[in-house]
Parts: sequence; C-alpha cells; structure tokens
Amino acid sequence: MNMGVVAVRNLGRNKLRTLLTIAGVSVAIVTFILLRTVLSAWTVAADHAAKDRVGTRHKVSFIIPLPKRYLEEIKQIPGVKGAAGANWFGAKDPKHETEFFGSFAVDPEEYLEVYDEIIVPPEQREAWFQNRTGAVVGDALAKKMGWKVGDRVTLVGTIYPGDWEFQISGIYTAVRKSVDRSSFMFHYDYLNDSQAVANANSKDLVGWIVSRIDDPSRAAEISRTIDARFDERDQQTLSMSERAMNTSFIGMISAILKAVDVVSLVILFIMVLILGNTVAMGVRERTHEYGVLRAIGFLPKHLAAFVVGEAMTVSVAGGVLGVMISYPFVQEGLGRFLEENMGAFCPFFRIDPATIVWALLLAMLLGAVAAALPAYNASRLKVIDALRRTG
Amino acid sequence: MSTSSVSVDRDIARAGVAAGSGAAIVEAIKVRKVYQRGKEDLTVLQDLDLTIHEGAFEALMGPSGSGKSTLLNLIAGLDRPTSGTIRVAGADVGTLPERARAKWRAANIGFIFQTYNMMPVLTALENVELPLLLASGLSSKDRRERAKTALSVVGLAERMQHYPRELSGGQEQRVAIARAIVTDPKLIVADEPTGDLDRKSADDILKLLERLNQEFRKTIVMVTHDPAAAERAKKVHHLDKGALL
Repeated sequence: MNMGVVAVRNLGRNKLRTLLTIAGVSVAIVTFILLRTVLSAWTVAADHAAKDRVGTRHKVSFIIPLPKRYLEEIKQIPGVKGAAGANWFGAKDPKHETEFFGSFAVDPEEYLEVYDEIIVPPEQREAWFQNRTGAVVGDALAKKMGWKVGDRVTLVGTIYPGDWEFQISGIYTAVRKSVDRSSFMFHYDYLNDSQAVANANSKDLVGWIVSRIDDPSRAAEISRTIDARFDERDQQTLSMSERAMNTSFIGMISAILKAVDVVSLVILFIMVLILGNTVAMGVRERTHEYGVLRAIGFLPKHLAAFVVGEAMTVSVAGGVLGVMISYPFVQEGLGRFLEENMGAFCPFFRIDPATIVWALLLAMLLGAVAAALPAYNASRLKVIDALRRTG
Repeated sequence: MSTSSVSVDRDIARAGVAAGSGAAIVEAIKVRKVYQRGKEDLTVLQDLDLTIHEGAFEALMGPSGSGKSTLLNLIAGLDRPTSGTIRVAGADVGTLPERARAKWRAANIGFIFQTYNMMPVLTALENVELPLLLASGLSSKDRRERAKTALSVVGLAERMQHYPRELSGGQEQRVAIARAIVTDPKLIVADEPTGDLDRKSADDILKLLERLNQEFRKTIVMVTHDPAAAERAKKVHHLDKGALL
C-alpha cells in the first residue's frame, strides 16, 4: 500500500457519487470533443488546402463573376502551371428536394488537372470528357442519392431556371480530406451555351479561377502578379493562396465558430464546478477522518495530495471514458453520417488526435483545479477542530 | 532526506529532544490553556503540574469540562498550551512548529480514540500500515510485516483482510490499538478507549492495554469516565475545573 492507493481507495467510499461524477465529467469531455471537432471540421479545408494553388476572385466580392478570358491570361503568367475556372450552379434534385449538395460548372480536363486529389477512374474520366451533358459526382453524394454510373438525372436550376438533364459519367473519390465528396460537377460549356445563361447575361463568365503554381513559396508573389495584371481593368481581382481563400470563407462565420469555441470552454468550466462541488462535499464529510490522519502524523501536504489525487483520478477516468465514448460515436457514427449526408459543410468530420490529447490533458488539469480549494481547506484544518467534527 | 525534513529535525532538536532526559516521559509545568469563546476567555487548564514516568499506565478522570481531554491533547502534541511548559518524550512540545509537531507525533505517540477511527475503505492490515507510510526507509514488505506483527499482538492476525465494517466494535478497537503500537511509540494516549464498547469488549481492551504496559513496557495515558477502566490504571489523576485534585 502507498498514499496513491489510499487516495484511489477513497473513491470507493461512495460508489454512486463517484460513478455519477465520472459520468458527468465524461459528458463534459464528449461535448468538448464534439465541439472541437465541429471547429476542426470547419477549418479542415483551410488546414488541408494545397500549398501550390492560388485562388482568384472578384476584388469586390466572391459572388461577382469574372470574365472567362482572365483564365487564359492567368495561364500565361510565369510560375502558373495550369488554371481552371468554376461556376456555382446551384441546383436541386426534385426527387430529393431537401438534400443539399454543391454543383459546379467546370472545364473537366482543366479542373481535374488543377485538383489532382480528385480521383476519377480512367474510363469514367474519359467518358466525362466526351459527354457534354456528363457529370461526375462524389461517392458520398452518389451513395446518398442512389446514383450509379450511366444514370440519367434531371436537376432543377435555382440560379439558372429550368430542368437540366445530365448523365452520370463517373464517381469520384479523394485523396485529401478537405475535398467535399458530395459535389456534382459538369461541363462548363453545357451551362455557358444555354439560353438560361444568356438570359441572365452571364455568358463567358466564371465564378472564380484556381491556378496551380510550380513553386508554393511563390504563392504570394504570383497572387500579386495576377492582381497587378487586372488592376487597370473594369473587373479587378483578388488572388490569394488556397489556404487564405478558404480561411476568408471561414471568416464569414467566424463569429459562430468563436461562439462554439467559447462554449467548448464553458462546458469545461461547468465540469470544474461540478467536480469541485463533489470534492468539497467529500472533504466536508471526512473532516473527522482528516483530523485522525493529522493526529497520527500526516502533514497538511499529505491531505492536500489525497484530495487532489482523488479529484484527478475521477477527472482522468471521466476523460478517458469521454474519449472512449466520443471516438466510436464520431468516427464510426456521426462523422460518417455527416460526411455522407452533409459533405458540402463537413467534408471531413473526424476527431483530430490533438483534440484527444487536449481533452485528456484538460481533464487532468481541471481535476487539479477543481480540487485546489477543497485541498487547501483540508490542509488548513486544525487537528483538534477536525477531531471534534463528527462528519 | 529532504531539506524540509532536515529543518523539521532541527526544530525537534532545538525543542530539546535529547537522550537521558530521565525517567519522566511527561512533564507538565504550570500549564495553562485558555480558549477564546467570542469575546470571553475560557480557562480550561489552570497552572497544572503533572509528571508521568516511563512505563506508567495512568488514567485521567473527571467530569465533563474538567479539562482531561484538553490535557491529553496537549500531552499528545495536538494542541499548544497558552502558557507553561509541556515536555513529552524529551521534547518541549508546546514550542514545536506545526510540521515538526506532526513529525514528532508520528514518531512518539500512538493514538487510541473512543470511536476507533478506522478508514472504512482500507482493510484491518492496511489501517494498521497507515502510520508506517510516514516512516522513511521502510519497504512496502517491511511495512506489511510490521503491521502483521502488530495485529498478531492484539490477536487479530486472522482478521487482517477484513474491512472495519466486517469487525465488531471490540475488534475495531483492537485494530486501532495495533495501529497505535505499530510505529513503536514512546507514549500511547487513549481517549475513552472503552467508551463505545460493551462491558465484555471493554474488559478485553483494558486487558490488552495492561498487557502492552506490563509486557511491552508501553507508557499509557488514558482519559476515561469509567471507574472500572480507571481501576486498571496504576495511577489515577482526578481533574476538576482545570486543576488536578
């Protein structure tokens, strides 16, 4: 036996209370991990952005399109290996009205060259290139909608009205976690040549342009060069690395993310209060026993160590339990569900290993914090007064 | 040894722990204890003188509020006198700082309480082993062996793995006695050791205390209300209103 054993054995004194406290801590840790995972899911696109890509949009706002000819000019800029434009299409499947997915008009060959992390089997890729009404969809979207290669689907345009008929040429997967596996991509020409685009005065426009550069360290310099080229034109551009561009999108919901961040910390603060109250209750109940320990020679620091040891054992047990609950819940359940059904918002919803480490470290630290005041009070007990207390 | 424990040892040495302090193990000289109750002073012990010799088995008796428990607390180093000197096992206990007094108690005093005060989550053996956690230089095995020996002395070796809730009151008190003797203290202080026991169990406990005194030469100071218990002591001190009669 040693002092650690004594501290841990004390937890068995009121098993129900200990179990409920561990459960309370684990709920707080599960909530913390979920909220941190929501945050990391939002920032995953920025965190995992390619270093060798530069995005270009209209200088005023990303909702104002750019002339398509800019694409050809950007390809000529030294250091740019290739470039692709994309237009937000915005469509719904009338058979699945409530399902949201991103739909884009792109030049297939250029787009797959710039986004080489998007993997389409060679024969499907070739079929897409050859079929003007062909489309490729992410594996998550195909699974959700029940689409297979060769299926004909009709989407209803929300920006460009009318029924749009497509044939599924391929299903893509991805080798980078930031890629949304629930997007729908089709030929730019199919959109651009339509009457709907003509009616909207949107012919030969692209929503944004993404360039592949040969030296990631020159991303900032090439961005400036691109913007300088169009600086005197009617439509000026704003270029930045893909990471910066993704971050700027996240910036639009930064207040929400900040709130989630704060809530995740508030949860831990509540955990400290719950744990602190339980520990303080235990100290009050055991005042007489602490008096006995002090009488037989234990020092104030020993009593403090017992209290902190107990609290940290509970908090770490709660932390480990929280991690054990969160991990399968997110990795095998919620994360998979969100990726398959809400891939446009959460292309990668998985627990970051760093979050697990933080959760366990914080559980340990907060256990110590929760025990600080009760431990201090226990260590300041006067032996005679403590012995008089009957608990 | 840590710096703090060296400093504690110095404190004890300064307070006069020394060999050859004579046969008196407890010397109380003009000891006065005053508690403050609100704005009023309550004098519990009044210029009390008391000497107890090594190997003694002495009882302190008196009505409630006579100061017997206060005197026992001062002898055991749980409290300090307001004035006067109290030397126990060679140390001027009243002048020792808190940490040094705790260390001194661990080395010199064995406690027996009225309500046994076992830790319910530890077995009998672990409860007896508890004070040995403070003794440096003892391995886990040594601690265990000593605790077993102490339990054998009180006749509870076969119950060493039992928890306090699985023992009778008399057995619990015997475990408490084993805990009190396991560190081989110079002085055992017992506060109403039979107060919660039936006559038969009380008698067993008193026989055990007598045996510790006679066979193991342990000095015992016992506070009791019970005249039958006091009869087993070699000497009885009567207190009333903070003074020895």
